[in-house]
Amino acid sequence: MKLIKLLQATGIALFVISCEKEVAETPVASITINKTEFTINETMEINFTGVADQVTVFPGDNMQNYDLREQSNTGLVVNKKLFTYAYAVPGVFKVVCVASTHTENAAELKYDTCSVTVTVTDDVTEINRISCPQVRYDEVFAEKMADDNWLMILPRRIKLGTSTPAINIARQRLRFYIPSDSTKVSIDGKSYSNTQNYDLSVPLDILVKSNAGTERPYKLYTVNYAEFASFKLLGATGTLVRNEYDYSTFVMEVTLPTGTDVSNAVPEFTTTAPTEKVYIGDKEQTSGTSAVDFTKDVIYRLVSTSADNPAMQAESTVSVKIRHQ
Amino acid sequence: MKIILRIVAFSFALVYLAGCSDFLDKDVLGYSTEENFFDTQYKLQTALNGVYDVLQSDMFNQCDWRFGEATADDVWGNDEGMGRSMGELVQFRFKTSNEWIRNRYEINYEGVHRANQVIANAHKVKLAIYDEPSIRGIREILGQAKFLRALFYFNLVKTYGGVPIRPETETMSKLIVPRSTAAEVYAYIEKDLREAAVMLPAIFTDANAGKAGEGAAVALLMKVLMYQATPGERSEKWEEMMRLGEFFVDGKPMNYGEILKFNTYQEEWNDFRLRLWLDHKEWKAEEKEKSSLTTTLRELSTTYSLAYVSVNNRQLNDYGATNAYVAQFYLPGEFCRGSIFEITFNESKDGTGGDLNEGDAIYTALFPNNDIYGAKPMYTREDIVSSLFRGDPRVLTIQAHMAILPDGEMAQLVPGLLFPLKWYTPLKEMPQYGGDNGKNRRLIRFAEVILMYAEALNECGEGARAMEQVNKNRAQANTINGSGTLYVAGGYGYQRDQIWQERRAELAFEWDRFFDLVRQKRAAEVIKAFGLARDNKRGFYFRKGVNEIFPIPQTEIDISNGVIKQNPGY
Repeated sequence: MKLIKLLQATGIALFVISCEKEVAETPVASITINKTEFTINETMEINFTGVADQVTVFPGDNMQNYDLREQSNTGLVVNKKLFTYAYAVPGVFKVVCVASTHTENAAELKYDTCSVTVTVTDDVTEINRISCPQVRYDEVFAEKMADDNWLMILPRRIKLGTSTPAINIARQRLRFYIPSDSTKVSIDGKSYSNTQNYDLSVPLDILVKSNAGTERPYKLYTVNYAEFASFKLLGATGTLVRNEYDYSTFVMEVTLPTGTDVSNAVPEFTTTAPTEKVYIGDKEQTSGTSAVDFTKDVIYRLVSTSADNPAMQAESTVSVKIRHQ
Repeated sequence: MKIILRIVAFSFALVYLAGCSDFLDKDVLGYSTEENFFDTQYKLQTALNGVYDVLQSDMFNQCDWRFGEATADDVWGNDEGMGRSMGELVQFRFKTSNEWIRNRYEINYEGVHRANQVIANAHKVKLAIYDEPSIRGIREILGQAKFLRALFYFNLVKTYGGVPIRPETETMSKLIVPRSTAAEVYAYIEKDLREAAVMLPAIFTDANAGKAGEGAAVALLMKVLMYQATPGERSEKWEEMMRLGEFFVDGKPMNYGEILKFNTYQEEWNDFRLRLWLDHKEWKAEEKEKSSLTTTLRELSTTYSLAYVSVNNRQLNDYGATNAYVAQFYLPGEFCRGSIFEITFNESKDGTGGDLNEGDAIYTALFPNNDIYGAKPMYTREDIVSSLFRGDPRVLTIQAHMAILPDGEMAQLVPGLLFPLKWYTPLKEMPQYGGDNGKNRRLIRFAEVILMYAEALNECGEGARAMEQVNKNRAQANTINGSGTLYVAGGYGYQRDQIWQERRAELAFEWDRFFDLVRQKRAAEVIKAFGLARDNKRGFYFRKGVNEIFPIPQTEIDISNGVIKQNPGY
C-alpha cells in the first residue's frame, strides 16, 4: 500500500513539474562586443550574456536590418552564445540582438532585444601594383620605388612573331591593384578610367582617396628601355635583334669580312634618346672614341633616365655578336 | 513486506553469484588490439586501404566538385537557390554552420586521421624476414600514407587556410588542437611529400596500379609549391618548382638530399633512414641497400607522357582516333601514360553486395544521359564554352542534346544545356548496378605537370623554355582535329595569360577551377564578373580578401570553446 502511495506522490510531483513550463521564462537580451569600430572584413565578435532559448542577431546591413524585418529582412542564428560577423561595405549599422524564450510548441513566445551601433570604415589607400595591361598582349607591371613613386618601364618595340610593332608610350591604359573596391583613383585631377588611354611620356600625379576620405598622392614615372638607334663597326652596320621574352635584352649582330681584326675597334653608335648613356661595365662609352676588344664577349649596358627624376632609371643590355664571312 | 525482502535477498544472491565468475578476467584471444593490430605488413596494408577508402567515399568527391567547380565560372548549377546549403555555398552567402563547409572539413580530417594511424603505427610491424623486399613493402605503405595525408591537408589548407595539425597519435588529453598558420601547414605537407618521393617507386603498375607512386608525390609537391607562390613575384617556391619540373619533365637528375632539403632537418641521416624504412636494425649489413643523401631519385621523365597512349604505349583509339583525348578519362585510359594519380572505383565482380570499393554514381549524375528531366547538378553553356576554349580543339569534348557520343550512343541530355565528355561514362563501361561509379577519377595528370613547369619557368624569367612546354601540351591537343595553332612568344604577362588559358582548357571540368583562380590571385575579379552577368548573381557576392578561403565550420569553433579561431571576415 505504501508503494502505491509512493507512486501517487511521484506522479503528482512530475505533473507539477511539467505544469511549470506552461509559463515561458522571461528572456534577457544582453551582449558584449569586442569593439564598435571596424574596418572592412574585420571580424566582429558578439558574446551573448543574457537568458534565452534562442538568440538571433541582425547585423544591420543589406537584408539583415532589424527595422526592416517586416520586409523580409532576417537575422542570423547564434550558436553556443558566440556570433562572429564581418561587414563587406562601410557604414554605420545598428546591430540588434533578439533573445526569445518559449513554452512547449511555442504556445507562448517572449522576446527581448538590445542593440549596439557599430561603425565600419574603409580606409585603404595602398596601391599594391600598377600595370599597363595592354602592351599589345602583355601586361607590364610598374616597379614600386621610394616615397610613393612608381616606375613603369616600357619597350619601344616588341617582337611578335615576325613583326616588331611599336609601343606608343603616349597611349597606354593603366590598371591599379588596390585591395578595396571603394577606393577611388584620380589621375592629374580627373577620375581614373580603365578604358582611357594615358600619356605616360610625362609623369602622372595619382591621387588615391579611400572611402573614409583619406587621400594619398603617388607619382608614376615612365621610361623606355634604351636602345641603339644605329651601330656601325669598322664600316659594317649592325642589326638589332629583339628578345620576345625580355624587353631589356638585345643582341647586335654585325657581319664583317673574314680575318678582320676586331681587337681594338672603335664603334660608332647613336641611341634612341640623347639622354641615354652607354657603358661597358662601369666605363662610359663614347661613339667614335671608345675602343673595344671585340675578340671577347662584349655586353653594352644602356641606361635611360627620366628627365623629371634622375632616380628613375631603366637598364638594358646589348650583347654584340660578330659574324665573319 | 516479506515479498520485498525476498526480492532483495534474491537480487543480492544473483549479483554475488555472477560476481564469483572469473570469465570477465580472461584474456580475449583472436581479437585485434591496439598493440597487435599493426604488427604485420598485411594488417598495415589493411589500414592503408582504409585511407584510400576515404578518397573513394561519396562525400569526398561530392565536396570536391562542389567547392572546386560549382563555385567557379565554368558552370551553372541547378541548386543555386538561397534556400539550401548548396545554394548558399556557391552564392558565397553562407553561414559558418553551412553543412557542405562542415562536410568537407570532416571528410578530409577523416582521411588525415586514418593516414595518421598508418604512419604512427608502422614501427610496430614485425617481419618474418628482414630482407629488401619485405622492408620495401612497409616503406611503400608508409610512403603512400604520407602522400595521402599531404593530399588531405592540402585540401584543407586551400579551403580553410591554416588548420589544426592533428597529432599522429591522438590522446584524450589533447583532443582540441589550435590552428596552425597556413605556412606551417604547407611546411608539414611539403615534408610528407618530399619523404614520400624518396620512399615510393616511380609508378605502380599491373595489379598495384592506382597506388600513389613517386610521380604523384613530386607532382603534388609542385602544386603545393605553386599554391604558396604569387604570380609576378619571383620566389624560392617558383624556383624550386622549376627545378622539380626539370627533374620530372626534362630528366635532369635530382638526389635525395636536394628533394628532401635535408639541410633543414634536425634529424640524423641514420635515424631518418630508420624512420622511413630505408633501413632497419634487423636488416643484415651485407644485404643492405646503401641509400644516402646523394642517391639519385628514380627517373620520371620517361614514365609519363603527354601522348594519348596506354601504359603499354597503345594508342587510345578505342572510341576512334578523334576521341583519344577523352578516352584518357574512360576505361581504356585508366592508368594511361598521361595519368599520374587516380581515385580508383571498381565495379564488384559479382555485382552483388560488397560494394566496398565504389563511390556513388557521381559521374552518371553529372552527365545525366537518357535522363532529360534529370537532376543535372552542373552544366555549362555556349557563352562559357566559347570563352573557355576560344577555338581550341578541346571544345569538341563538350556535348549537347542529340549529339553522337564517343561510343556511338545518342546524347539524351537536357535540351539547351551542355555537358563535358570528361564526365561521361560510355554505356559499356557503365556499372551494372545503379548506385555504383564505374570509372576512375583522374586527380593528377601529366599535362598539369607540364603546365605547372611552364608557369614556373615563365615566373623565373625563362620565357623561351616556358613557351616550349606550353606549346608541347597544345600541340598534343591539336592532334584531336589536326589544328596547327600554337601559342605565340611574348613578354611575361602575355605568356602567363597564355599558360593560364591552356590550363583552363586542358583541365576544364576536373573540379579544380575555383582553387586555381584563388591561387592566381584573381578569384574575386573573375567570379564577381561572372556573377554580375547572371540573373541570380551567383558569384557576385564574392568578397575579395575574405572568400578566397572558407570559414572554419562553426561546430569546430563551438566545441573547442574558442581555442580554434575563425578566419577573418566570418
